[in-house]
Amino acid sequence: MKLDWKMYFTILGLTALVMVAYEFNAFTFWKDDSEVVRIENATQASYQETDVPEDQKEEILDGEFTVINKNGNMRSADVVKNQKQEETGITPATISIPAIDVEAAVESVGILDNGQMGVPEDPQKAGWFEPGTEPGSTGNSVIAGHVDSRTGPAVFYDLDQLEKGDEITVSDENGEEKTYVVEKLESYPMDDSPIETIFGSSDEKRLNLITCTGEFLSSIGGHADRLVVYSKLKEPTQNQEDIQPPSNVQIQGTMITWHAVREDYVAGYRVYRSQDGETFEKVASISKHERKSYTDSEASDYSYYVTTVNEEGTESMPSDPTGTK
Amino acid sequence: MKQMKRILITLMALMLLVPSVAMADHHKSAQTEAADLRSTLDQLLSEHFVLATTFMMKSYEDAPDADEVWNKLDQNAQDMTPAIASIYGDEAAAQFEEIFRGHNDYSDGFVEAAKNDDPEARKMAEEEVEEFTEEFSTFLASVTEGNLSKDTAKEVLKAHEQDVLNVFDHYVNEEYQKSYTAFREGFNRMFDISKALSSAIVTQMPDSFNGTKADTPAADLRSNMNALASEHFALAVLEMQKGFDQAEDYDFVTWAENQHTADFKAAIGSIYGEEGAAQFEKVWQQDHINAQSDVITAALEEDEEARKMAEQSLMAFSEDFGAFLGTATEGNLPQEDAVEAVWTHEEDVLQTFDHYVNEDYTATYDSFREGYAFMFGIGETLSSAVVTQMPDQFGGEVMPEEMPKTGFGGASDQGMNTWMWIAFGVIAAASAGFISIRKAKQ
Repeated sequence: MKLDWKMYFTILGLTALVMVAYEFNAFTFWKDDSEVVRIENATQASYQETDVPEDQKEEILDGEFTVINKNGNMRSADVVKNQKQEETGITPATISIPAIDVEAAVESVGILDNGQMGVPEDPQKAGWFEPGTEPGSTGNSVIAGHVDSRTGPAVFYDLDQLEKGDEITVSDENGEEKTYVVEKLESYPMDDSPIETIFGSSDEKRLNLITCTGEFLSSIGGHADRLVVYSKLKEPTQNQEDIQPPSNVQIQGTMITWHAVREDYVAGYRVYRSQDGETFEKVASISKHERKSYTDSEASDYSYYVTTVNEEGTESMPSDPTGTK
Repeated sequence: MKQMKRILITLMALMLLVPSVAMADHHKSAQTEAADLRSTLDQLLSEHFVLATTFMMKSYEDAPDADEVWNKLDQNAQDMTPAIASIYGDEAAAQFEEIFRGHNDYSDGFVEAAKNDDPEARKMAEEEVEEFTEEFSTFLASVTEGNLSKDTAKEVLKAHEQDVLNVFDHYVNEEYQKSYTAFREGFNRMFDISKALSSAIVTQMPDSFNGTKADTPAADLRSNMNALASEHFALAVLEMQKGFDQAEDYDFVTWAENQHTADFKAAIGSIYGEEGAAQFEKVWQQDHINAQSDVITAALEEDEEARKMAEQSLMAFSEDFGAFLGTATEGNLPQEDAVEAVWTHEEDVLQTFDHYVNEDYTATYDSFREGYAFMFGIGETLSSAVVTQMPDQFGGEVMPEEMPKTGFGGASDQGMNTWMWIAFGVIAAASAGFISIRKAKQ
């Protein structure tokens, strides 16, 4: 009997606790390990400045090369001039996100009279922002979907469960697919989202998914925040012969120089040297953004070749060798 | 055959650098009034070229620093006025300023035409340039009282305008190697123009220059050093900006730097021999050219440790290069002075870059102009040391005041002599460039 009462109050207490927690929205912070980063004042300059360095570089291949995010630097080189879009994008008809079991139809949406981006009527459908970039093309493509309807979860309910590296595939009516890889998740206050970052131009091929997140405010009849999943097009895997080795490898005094391979896939270069012209050893890794040269005070005693390495770590064939033998 | 050509060109270059002793007058210093005039013109004219081409590239890209480059381009034009006034008086200087400052406006016309892909606007800009060459060559011929003939002036102005356009057009077409080849050619042409102009002025008014000549071997050496030093600075600044922006043409600015290193090495070789040249190259590249690029990488990766290391390398370079210069000139340029001068230069480079990274463009190009001017001080100091060290090559010892008068000029044009040298220099430079490109392509 005594035990029963103890049990009763324990359960009652716990239930109350859970209800209080629910009331205060504690679960939104609790619900699994979500990678969502919430950003206040996203449109203000202070955010831009403090945030940029974080995204500006990334070490890949165990830190051998550093990749600089060009978008972090909105200077001259980014101005798009008469750039031809060689690859044609697709008009998305379906979206599939295996990691959170999403298989949904996509319809095209535009801009509403009040300036908002439109969303499909059907909560189980996603909407592609048709005035923007086509998936597969250079720029930011945007697809939005509901997190919930009046009655329950909707198409993007689990979007905040996505993790870096998860894949998103969109396909058109003919089944042509474009697969994107999730890079980061960020949430912003509804009226203070970085529209330019999400919808604006980019020299990369990106897809951004948008849904609601945060507290539901009955006063405005909507959620307080917007969740944005940033993803980047997965380029087809390259074989060694697809990667162009550097040209014009030369020794000038103590400097080994070469001409850059002007392709987006390049992460950097490896420099090899040899004394006998047969067995070569790697002496340097040079990232894409660095000067294409390697200094060696004993350059006259060696022969050299250079290889190109892509972002997946695949290495090209050696360049033509240069040097003593 | 190619080998022969190369040897011939090397010989020509050598002759240019070290003309025969008989041609020298008795003023053996590199610091004569005439040499000073030439050096001033070297500085202002070549800076004009660098700023004009930089402005056009930046403006085409809508770069945030384009306006500031424009301001400095205009400032450069205004700086020429006092130089002209000191020689020809205020009225002529005012006239000069009007023509010269005005011609900078055309560069904007070309940029706008390219941006809007507007052949009409392009044609208009071309016509304006044509008008300018006409007007300015008339002006030059008249103030120099024909010591610089109108035709020659016009020809050389045209060549200069074409250089600037070549740099820009190739840049727009994304033919960066061609663009920087044109840049180097056009840059060095400014020194030829300076030589011609200063020689004409000095010939016209020998008394104002104390009878000194602008084209003595010592003055040639000084101008050569000016060119090598200032081109290095201009390319270093450009390289670091383009590298930081990860601009499309970054790798070609570094390419141009390598070409420049080769030229500098050849110049050192012609004075101090192969061994000295090899030594120079090693010091020049190791803790210097490479370290400047490390500064960019450090900024891009926001790596303060790497930045410190790069600065230490540059300091080590100042020491090493100072020591090299001290030894090479046999102490005529004291080592500590050399170290200090080199480090001042490195500081200029770093400052210009840091202001650029901080987006303070007024400060960027203030530093640029200061650092650019400083290179001409280096040219003066270094050439003086070499001339003192090797009076036989650059001075000439017991010489009459003038050559004997062995003709009355009936068969030759007085102004021709200088112009033959210039044409010769241009051809030598152009063919050397041609060969090095051929070589690079192989």
